[in-house]
Amino acid sequence: MNLTQQLVNGIVLGHAYALIAIGWTVLLGVARLVNFGHGQMYMLGAFVTWYGISRLGLPYILAIPLAMLVGVAVGYVMQRVMLQLTLKQDLVSIMIVTLGFGYVLHGAAALFFGSTGQILSTPLSMEDVYWGDLWFTYQDIAIVIVAILFFAALKYIIDRTRLGRLARMVAEDPQLAELAGINVKRVYLGVFAFEGAAVALAAALVAPRTPILTSMGFDEVIITFVVVVLGGIGSVLGSYLAGLALGLFVAFFGAFVSPAYAMAAAFAVLIAVLVIRPGGLAVSPGGR
Amino acid sequence: MNTRPVLETTDLKVAYGGNLALDLPRIAVRERELVGVVGANGAGKSTLVNSLLGWSRGSPKVSGKVLLDGRDISALPPHERVKAGLLLIPEGKLVFTQMSTEENLASTADDAPAGQGRRRYSTDEVYALFPRLYERRHHLGSQLSGGERQMLGIARALRLGPRALLLDEPSIGLAPRLVSTVLETVRSLVDSGLTVLLVEQNVHAAIEVVDRLILLERGRILAEGTASEMRDDPRIAEAYLGAHV
Repeated sequence: MNLTQQLVNGIVLGHAYALIAIGWTVLLGVARLVNFGHGQMYMLGAFVTWYGISRLGLPYILAIPLAMLVGVAVGYVMQRVMLQLTLKQDLVSIMIVTLGFGYVLHGAAALFFGSTGQILSTPLSMEDVYWGDLWFTYQDIAIVIVAILFFAALKYIIDRTRLGRLARMVAEDPQLAELAGINVKRVYLGVFAFEGAAVALAAALVAPRTPILTSMGFDEVIITFVVVVLGGIGSVLGSYLAGLALGLFVAFFGAFVSPAYAMAAAFAVLIAVLVIRPGGLAVSPGGR
Repeated sequence: MNTRPVLETTDLKVAYGGNLALDLPRIAVRERELVGVVGANGAGKSTLVNSLLGWSRGSPKVSGKVLLDGRDISALPPHERVKAGLLLIPEGKLVFTQMSTEENLASTADDAPAGQGRRRYSTDEVYALFPRLYERRHHLGSQLSGGERQMLGIARALRLGPRALLLDEPSIGLAPRLVSTVLETVRSLVDSGLTVLLVEQNVHAAIEVVDRLILLERGRILAEGTASEMRDDPRIAEAYLGAHV
């Protein structure tokens, strides 16, 4: 067994997981909300990228922003519809509404894109890199680089900029934030739009690794859930580290035991972590 | 003193689930005036200041008008009223506990115009007013004492350039010496041009600093007058259930 290859696989997988989860991390951190339509938004991002490339003839680099724009629109509309529930922090209704939204997206995507699987080929996914015994693609390199840049930029924005400060104020106490002159509704809409863009970006980068189906999305929600909870709710750095840790765990567990049980084992670890550290693995629960 | 009210309400009514919690024909706070609103628990004091800002942790039904410099702001959401210059320092949670003092003081209304009669205090000015905050500028809000949080709450409001400031029970949880310090600071802010409506349960402390006092009971005005007129008004003691106040 090539352990170094497993390490590479784990690193790529980990960055992919972190990238898929980042939208939800911010959503949960700022708005204290969940979106169970996240997986279907990932699916939509993948299909819009595929449609842009294979049907509209767009270059990959333009298909990505197209997918992100659609993600922004979907996120915005979703939040617009359930804004009152958001303001009341009615989590049960929000869970049901977002779950329903996911099914609507699934049905609409099947209607528009068809129910057969597709391959999202990109110029990067078709270029293999061999380095000694190691194998990966340029797509893998792109996932790692974009994930690192995205997380670094987001961490900087949240910690150092006015926009980040506003988001943190709303995250801590939306009602007190209103008294500081912040339009909380606009922040919530912005956060959902951001989530839509982030998950579409993740899909455009990660989905070329596997065939895409309009029925996919469940695995992505589960992965996101694990990463966000392990990382500490709303912690950007925690999510990055948790994504990376999960990726390495799945890669090595798959290699040493069996890929079939990797996610079940990941959940066993999640349960153990939550029992020992209820706030997740982040240095300080609720930290950034 | 300019007699035009900076802050005025007409026919203000607030109801929770059909129960009328506040019913006030008119309240007016003039330029550079410090008006105190006192009353026992449940008199409607916090309901009054919260409704002035259209802000509540519950879902009350509010009717009537709130005017700021003659402009009807009743239909504006809370954040727009803040931008218009009406600032509320609520009871209880005053600061963002996961942010440093410095971050709490970073103004969130950078694009808000200074406007007529509005003065946006700089960070240096609020540090000069509250030197303790400068010493604690790198501490998180959660690490501050009750008095320091009260100072930071006022300082945060000053950074936003208030036209009128609403203070809800600033003495709660503070040692008597700190209560005097905070209220004297509020008085000095009024003397330097600020307009303040102070809601306070501690009548003794409030009456020392206010220009006028309004006594509320069960959501209605029971008595109103200057501080000297109200100082020995027996209705105040009666409103506090006959207790010595």
